[in-house]
Amino acid sequence: MNENNSGINRRGFLKGSLALGAAVLVNPNSLWAGQAPSMAQYVDLPFERGRRPLVAFPGKRPLMAMTTRPPQLETPFHIFNEDIFTPNDAFFVRWHLANIPRDIDVNTFRLTIRGRVHQSLSLSLEELKTQFEQVEIAAVCQCGGNSRGFFQPRVSGGQWGNGAMGNANWKGVRLRDLLQKAGIEDDAVQIRFDGLDQPVAEATPDFRKSLNLDDAIKKEVLVAHSMNGDPLPMLNGFPLRLVVPGWYATYWVKMLNDIEVLNQADQNFWTTQAYRLPADPCHCLQPGEALTGTIPIGKMTVRSFITNLENDRTIPGGKPCTIKGIAFDQGYGIDRLLLSVDGGQQWQAAQLGKDYGDFSFRPWEAKFIPESGHSYALQSLAINRIGESQRFDARWNPSGYLRNVIETVNIHAT
Amino acid sequence: MLGVRIFLFVALCVTGLFWGLPAKGNEQERLSILNLPSDPISFQAGPGSDIANSYCAICHSAEYVYMQPPHPREQWMEIVKKMKTSFGCPIPDEQISPLVDYLISQNSVQLSTPSYPVHKEVPDEMSGQAAKHPVDPKKGKTLYAQHCLNCHGTGGKGDGPIGQSLIPPAANLTLLGKKSDKAILDTIRNGRAGTAMPSWKAYLNQSAMRDLLAFLRTLSQ
Repeated sequence: MNENNSGINRRGFLKGSLALGAAVLVNPNSLWAGQAPSMAQYVDLPFERGRRPLVAFPGKRPLMAMTTRPPQLETPFHIFNEDIFTPNDAFFVRWHLANIPRDIDVNTFRLTIRGRVHQSLSLSLEELKTQFEQVEIAAVCQCGGNSRGFFQPRVSGGQWGNGAMGNANWKGVRLRDLLQKAGIEDDAVQIRFDGLDQPVAEATPDFRKSLNLDDAIKKEVLVAHSMNGDPLPMLNGFPLRLVVPGWYATYWVKMLNDIEVLNQADQNFWTTQAYRLPADPCHCLQPGEALTGTIPIGKMTVRSFITNLENDRTIPGGKPCTIKGIAFDQGYGIDRLLLSVDGGQQWQAAQLGKDYGDFSFRPWEAKFIPESGHSYALQSLAINRIGESQRFDARWNPSGYLRNVIETVNIHAT
Repeated sequence: MLGVRIFLFVALCVTGLFWGLPAKGNEQERLSILNLPSDPISFQAGPGSDIANSYCAICHSAEYVYMQPPHPREQWMEIVKKMKTSFGCPIPDEQISPLVDYLISQNSVQLSTPSYPVHKEVPDEMSGQAAKHPVDPKKGKTLYAQHCLNCHGTGGKGDGPIGQSLIPPAANLTLLGKKSDKAILDTIRNGRAGTAMPSWKAYLNQSAMRDLLAFLRTLSQ
């Protein structure tokens, strides 16, 4: 965070309401292609009621404020063109319950590991950082409802554009190392995770998520204390967050302070009733069709985005135009990126950029020469290493999950 | 409480603690602070908005409604029922239908631009137009019954029908004696982050807030 932002935040601290007035104001028309943000107050997402004011929350630069209580903040899309790793102060924010701790004392904070274990543990941050191997992994964290605002017909829920995702280097300890130290009982089947956030109304179920034991002990699953080399921002789960690479962010429990080993399937609301997909292989329905069986949301679908050109952009014709973007999947890694400039009639291979690991954003780039006076429908199509690709038609489900249709960016050459 | 927090802020500010970041130095490394802004918008006044303010705003800001695309009645009904049965909203059954009517009425409401109104500095309450307006605790009592009673209770002890089921529970308003007018008005105007107390500024004008304040002062006598 630079000095200027600190100043904004300190004024905001002086008087909470002033934080809104103190937002750096950014012109949505200058949000692309590395142009420096200047003066404007909001971004208009391309759907009804898509206006999002740019507001600087604690530890954050001005982001697209979807809701304030509990906080839900979207990353303006141009950020994804600037760095393959999303800066901490630009990383999206999504809380479920408004009763979030106002302060955390790092000296007294403890992470407990209990339940079906030989020996319960209560670990300080210092112990976590010194008594266990420290591991770092690049991984995409994406909300299950990312891009929900684009569903047609529209569905209820948080109306995100495409910015409820981010890529970071997460550092911490392996969950399995902690479980091994506690010693899990033979009858353990699931691990349940709870954070310090609490409901406002007494009858609201506390936010907790569970993973099957087999998934929880994968080597990439971390209890992370750092993000891109710095402590986690409060709004992204300081001091500890579960990191489940390849899985949707709902499992990445923030302000993690309790790990419970269960000997039966978790029956809590957030696992059995919330974040559910239609059970069929497509995880989709026809709009209006009755929902029958459901399964919990799990791993992420294959996606890709063009990051350096926004829709309806005008570019100079007759000279090479570079198209840049990102792709990711659930952790098989990206094998190929195909690009079309004619709305999907013909595809050419794009050049994949540096590989930061199977769970990271993968940069890609392609060039073409637009003809003056022509319009082009740019599309990118990612295929992962087991041959899964993005969908050609947008799947629909009533909760607005798993969008991974091929996206289109229309540009015009002068 | 507010006084304590302001003192805490001053103390932390002096030690140079930055907002939302684990700061440097001995004392600063110990505490990480998160101070969130108050709700930027309220439910727009209209038939049923009192129900939305009484129940929806317990757990979430009004933005949750205003970001929604227009939903048909069945879908709003489904959402409200889910809020009651799954999320424990203490709304009585007979209030559900009027609330759904209100939510439908908000389908087409376009909030003024920017939809986050920029908060103005709170004016000195003892000067300006508002202070010249004669306060009326009787009007304040009526406002209290409309907007406050569900949580804070008839006598203001925080023992209204839903006051004690909130976390933290509704404030006991008979203990406001030592708080300044400015602090109380600020809470009414902006709400309290981390509690069920919503912002009333789109709902009560300055003189209404002062009438309400005059009534609140009678509770601790």
